Amino acid sequence: MKIIPFGPEAPVANPRFWRTLEERDETPEARAAAHEEFLPGAATLDNLTPAGGLSRRDFFSLVAATTAVAATVACDRKGQGTVVPYTRRPLEVVPGVANYYASTFQEGRRTYPVLVKTREGRPIHITGNDEHPGVKGKTSPRALADVLRLYDPDRLRAPKFQGRATAWNEAEAQLTGALRNAKAAGKPVLLLTGAVASPSRKALLADLKAALPTLEHLAWEPAAGDAAEAGAKASFGGAVEIRPRLDKAKVIVSFGADFLNGEDPEALAAFSAKRRLSHPGEAMNRLWVFEGPMTLTGTNADQRFPVKPSRLAALAFALARDLHATHGVALPSGTDLSAVPAGVPQGTDIPAQAWTLLLKDLASAGREAVVLCGPEMPAEAHQAAHLLNAMLGSQAVQVVPAEPLANLRDLEAAVQGMASGNYAAAILWDMNPAFAFPKGAAWKDAFAKVPFRAWIGLMEDESAAQCQLLLPENHWLESWGDFGFGPILTLQQPTIGTLYDTRQGEDVLLMVLKGLGAQVPPDLHAYLQARWRSAVQPAGSLTTFDRFFQAALHDGLVRTGVKPTPAPAFKSASVAAAVQRAAPRGTEGMELVLFPGFAPHDGRYANNGWLQECPDPVTKMTWDNPVSLSVADAQKLGVKEGAFVKVEVGGASLRLPVIIQPGQANGVLSLALGYGRTTGAVGAGVGMNAFPLMDLDPASTNLRRGVRLSAAGGKKELSRTQSHHRMEGRDLVRSYTLAEFAKEAHGSGHEPEVLSLYPDQQFPDHKWGMAIDLSACVGCSACVVACQSENNVPVVGAEQVTRGREMHWIRIDRYYEGDLENPKVVHQPMLCQHCDSAPCENVCPVNATNHSPDGLNQMAYNRCVGTRYCANNCPYKVRRFNFLEYTSYKTEPEALVYNPEVSVRPRGVMEKCSFCVQRIQDVKIRAKGEGRSILDGEITTACMAGCPSDAIVFGDLKDPKSKVSLLAHAQRGYKVLEEVGARPAITYLADLKNPALVGGPHAG
Amino acid sequence: MQAEVNALRGAIPQGLLEPPLTVGTVTPGSLDDQVLAFPETLPPKQWYIGLAITLTALVIGFSFIGYTIATGIGVWGNNSPVFWAFDIINFVFWVGIGHAGTLISAILFLFRKRWRNAIARFAEAMTIFAVICAVIFPLIHVGRPWLAYWLFPYPNQRALWTNFRSPLLWDVFAVNTYFSVSLMFWYLGLIPDIASMRDRTTSKVRKVIYTVLALGWRGAARHWQHYEKAYLLLAGLATGLVLSVHSVVSFDFATSVVPGWHMTIFPPYFVAGAIFAGFAMVVMVLVVVRETMQLQNLITTRHLDVMNKVILSMSCIMGYSYMMEGFTAWYSMNEFLHHGFMNIISGSYGWAGWLTIFCNILFPQILWFKKARTSYFWMILVAIGVTIGMWFERFVIIVISLHQDYLPSAWRLYKPTMVDFGILLGTFGIFFTLVLIFARVLPVIATTEVKAILPEAQPSHHGEDHHV
Repeated sequence: MKIIPFGPEAPVANPRFWRTLEERDETPEARAAAHEEFLPGAATLDNLTPAGGLSRRDFFSLVAATTAVAATVACDRKGQGTVVPYTRRPLEVVPGVANYYASTFQEGRRTYPVLVKTREGRPIHITGNDEHPGVKGKTSPRALADVLRLYDPDRLRAPKFQGRATAWNEAEAQLTGALRNAKAAGKPVLLLTGAVASPSRKALLADLKAALPTLEHLAWEPAAGDAAEAGAKASFGGAVEIRPRLDKAKVIVSFGADFLNGEDPEALAAFSAKRRLSHPGEAMNRLWVFEGPMTLTGTNADQRFPVKPSRLAALAFALARDLHATHGVALPSGTDLSAVPAGVPQGTDIPAQAWTLLLKDLASAGREAVVLCGPEMPAEAHQAAHLLNAMLGSQAVQVVPAEPLANLRDLEAAVQGMASGNYAAAILWDMNPAFAFPKGAAWKDAFAKVPFRAWIGLMEDESAAQCQLLLPENHWLESWGDFGFGPILTLQQPTIGTLYDTRQGEDVLLMVLKGLGAQVPPDLHAYLQARWRSAVQPAGSLTTFDRFFQAALHDGLVRTGVKPTPAPAFKSASVAAAVQRAAPRGTEGMELVLFPGFAPHDGRYANNGWLQECPDPVTKMTWDNPVSLSVADAQKLGVKEGAFVKVEVGGASLRLPVIIQPGQANGVLSLALGYGRTTGAVGAGVGMNAFPLMDLDPASTNLRRGVRLSAAGGKKELSRTQSHHRMEGRDLVRSYTLAEFAKEAHGSGHEPEVLSLYPDQQFPDHKWGMAIDLSACVGCSACVVACQSENNVPVVGAEQVTRGREMHWIRIDRYYEGDLENPKVVHQPMLCQHCDSAPCENVCPVNATNHSPDGLNQMAYNRCVGTRYCANNCPYKVRRFNFLEYTSYKTEPEALVYNPEVSVRPRGVMEKCSFCVQRIQDVKIRAKGEGRSILDGEITTACMAGCPSDAIVFGDLKDPKSKVSLLAHAQRGYKVLEEVGARPAITYLADLKNPALVGGPHAG
Repeated sequence: MQAEVNALRGAIPQGLLEPPLTVGTVTPGSLDDQVLAFPETLPPKQWYIGLAITLTALVIGFSFIGYTIATGIGVWGNNSPVFWAFDIINFVFWVGIGHAGTLISAILFLFRKRWRNAIARFAEAMTIFAVICAVIFPLIHVGRPWLAYWLFPYPNQRALWTNFRSPLLWDVFAVNTYFSVSLMFWYLGLIPDIASMRDRTTSKVRKVIYTVLALGWRGAARHWQHYEKAYLLLAGLATGLVLSVHSVVSFDFATSVVPGWHMTIFPPYFVAGAIFAGFAMVVMVLVVVRETMQLQNLITTRHLDVMNKVILSMSCIMGYSYMMEGFTAWYSMNEFLHHGFMNIISGSYGWAGWLTIFCNILFPQILWFKKARTSYFWMILVAIGVTIGMWFERFVIIVISLHQDYLPSAWRLYKPTMVDFGILLGTFGIFFTLVLIFARVLPVIATTEVKAILPEAQPSHHGEDHHV
């Protein structure tokens, strides 16, 4: 017993009291009696219990025990699952610690070196590979989102023959049997694949061709646009890849080229790097855009002119002629421009002053000027662009010979061959011609006549329905591979074992080769290593191959030392014919540009909810492909946004809702490809298939002329994430021309200090903040997808988006300003501003949202009751409410993509950007473990890491030397809605435009 | 002494004398027979028809509430940025309806407006029922209604505490206080009447029930003394609440940063609006009660006239408030506020703005005419108009302000769903079901209070009994 001190004196010894003398003497009887609770003779339930029955105490013990057991059992939450530790832990896997693997993602001819984040063996997040000198850690939104496809529940999980699941050896027997028969009969076998960007795959296909001489291989990219290929063949005599090198560009002219749409992170980074000015004296590039539809690149133009795409070639040739005539820029010898009509081409409405300035710009920039042409534009426009680049001797574009692609004429020939029964067998590898071939019905009829039809792919599609043998393929995150023919070879490696009974496509081909009697390694891993041993590892290398390969696995790339292939010479003789084709044709009707959809591309990603829900950067449309038309055309037709129209061309017609697009050239329609899939739980029935509107003429597949448009009656509510597009004269996005910036530079842009009655919150160690450079941001939306992947942001579907309930933690606000014909466009990433005096915090009745000591506005999801008051009171409207249950019904495999660091929010709970608090914590813990302070730039939020143009900078505002602190005090810096007094932690840097004309970027 | 009073009375001009508060001969006995008889007899057929209709609405409402709780707030039309819509409109609407009752029973009591005695009971009952309808919404509108009790600051092991800076928490206290004080006040007033009913009834079951409810009331002088004291105290307490509850409700809006909400005029403006809407509802219901229960002699034309005058004066205050909103928007030179006000009169929901202005400001002006104030047709028309107008006023404040606030990129139109309408209908079902039941089981008129204003009860009365 504790002795309680009593007063200042020494503690008194514990007094001992006694009741009886016996007790005082501590006789054994007394001791025993003291031990008993009751006096002898007292009646207790203990001794009243009948023999063999329960005593009172026993009864209570049992009650207690059963209650405890019942409570424990009842505590087991439904569907919680079990956590089982590794019995034998894989060497590199530490539970709770992420592993990163370098790999490569391919889309058409483009390859994206990426870094795959895995947790406990599951790939959960993708970023660019920072070891790669080109992409420097950046990648495209579709590459970021493709991790979701790995866990798509619609994936085919085992081979199928005649509609029934079968084993691989059975499938192997069927396939090799059919091919052996074809070989014996000498009948051709059709193999349809996507673009070949992998040297190992190329070698493998060559081996296959050797073993099966009747193989006809067509490498086809449905949405790529055959016109670019046709133009390249005419100008350079072969297929080429045009790689912009915008780090060397001072003046960029785009003829319908949407090079800023996020597909090319290198171009985006290089373009933005020259627009991030800290003072007006710095050099800035200038972007001239001539285009029909409003593209993302057009929205970022310094000078934009809406022009019908069919007139672009004439415009470019006129530019070449005038450049030669007025500025003396030499034409490649033998170039005949005599047929180019004098002056600015008719119908392009380009003011003479602008024309003169453009010529001057190009002539003075010389080798630092570049002309880019969009793949959807007709072949002659490409030829004109090649001519201009050749004239200027542009350093800012790299023309690289490429593996040729099949065009629609080649496919049409194959269809005819199939229809007449020539082919013995056909194999579709990652190809869906029943959907993507413009004459889908003809394809299906002809394909049905091929005796043996095999399909290799990820998810059963429209074409798989016609095949007897379906071979499920690995996702690329489960596969080996190598990419690139130039000085850098990137490696693809599996980041997870196969989830299902699948094989990678190359392994199927190896199986076929074996079946045909060839001596080949068992799988691509071995095949690739064998090829690398002989062809890739430098001859005099001192390291062993294993170490060489290990290093390649680590870096994800190898510098092969191969000299880049010299650019093929420009064939000036081709110009005259192109000039002829560029002459105006007397076709009636409108023009239609068919472009690969931002989300589905050519349809292959239609089942990816992240992409479908990521708003199109220009129209802010999700889950649909309405046709865009100009304001004047809409007025002429008498249609409002969402009204249905009929688009007719060349015998095909589609009924689509319209979107009225400011800045769209009059007489021009634009429509995204890749929608209207009929298979896949997510993508089926989303939008309309526009491939049937494509032309088979390789010189102009994606540009149709003579399109008839008529109102079709009816209206659809568009699932757009933004429904109001003007800034209403509010000071939200500041945008200066260079001249204005020079004037503003002397401190006129600063607002008076906001006064408060309350003491400022103190931030003892850190205060996290962000700076977003609106001049660097082009609006590509990679940040949106990166955030969705990092933070388990749910996908809600078209109906919920229509009702304004999308859940993105970061969105890109896009505003139009000025006239409807050719407005100025600005983009503004909007996310939680982590205000120091946050209006959301004081209104939450349960304190579910509050401020952390390091400046984060944090959400305690568990505490949130869902009054939604915080969202009402948020001036930036960045809070997202789980109106319905968007997540908890998800099971494996879908749930495997979740980031385990971020809780999944149930219905009825508010959520919002957390500044990636899990990443902050991760770095904090690591720094603490290493006994150092956090370095500037060490913490990256997902949006920052995903941003190809480095427009987002995150860091500690307490550190005066941090990058974010410097930017927070930059000349262009300002806070959005500063007058509300919320004191946001995000500084925006004003947008800059570099127009040539005095009237502003969109004058003319 | 009596003679002096009589002489004095004789000296007062006729026009200044208070007109009689009842019509015809009403004696304490006849009053009891007239009012207390209702619970003793079976209701007429019309009552059952009415109850069937209101119960149907109630069931529809509760089904939709059940559906909402099972599925989520997503079944409503609420979206981003209109995170609050019908839920809070209905809450503010019903809390407002309640205010007339408290004003009549408490404030007019303190001002010794004796005409209020005949209608106080009914109006107060409507307060209770309206607040019951109102409290449903804060409970069901939260995302996780099963956790709504977290809004109460109760000690818990997780050491979590509520945020006393949040006006929503003030609401919790304001509405709870209001409901409990109103209930006590109402019940206290009922006690003598219940005792009368206990004494009158012949049914054993009723006897037991009324005995329990009467709390041993014997009508002793000491009982009356305590009763009057308690009644006065509660009236004083309730008076403060009339002003505070809707002021606190208005703080939900006024303390926020939303343009169109952030206004210093909101507390008085909300209180006036609440009294306005409440009186309209009382007029509507009282006219029906007066006619169907033949209470013309107790609820006189003068009552209706006076209540309509209150409606008219509140309408003028509302008009002033609306103009002040416009003036503030213009004078502040705040572009957001300006845009918000222009939205009310010319935005996508401009029709709702004009409907509000017409129903609340323009149309009630007809009550300047005595003929309209005493005509059932016009007063019912005005009352219905005001009820609709005041509902839409909250629509204007909540939906119009929210749908276009600071960032145009986030602007979006709001469209209610069937569920929204169903729950609104359901609250009307709850309200009128309770009104119907009340009308048949409890005295709709406070007989003891009316007895006190009968001419015989007055010291100035020169009937024979006083001369004895």
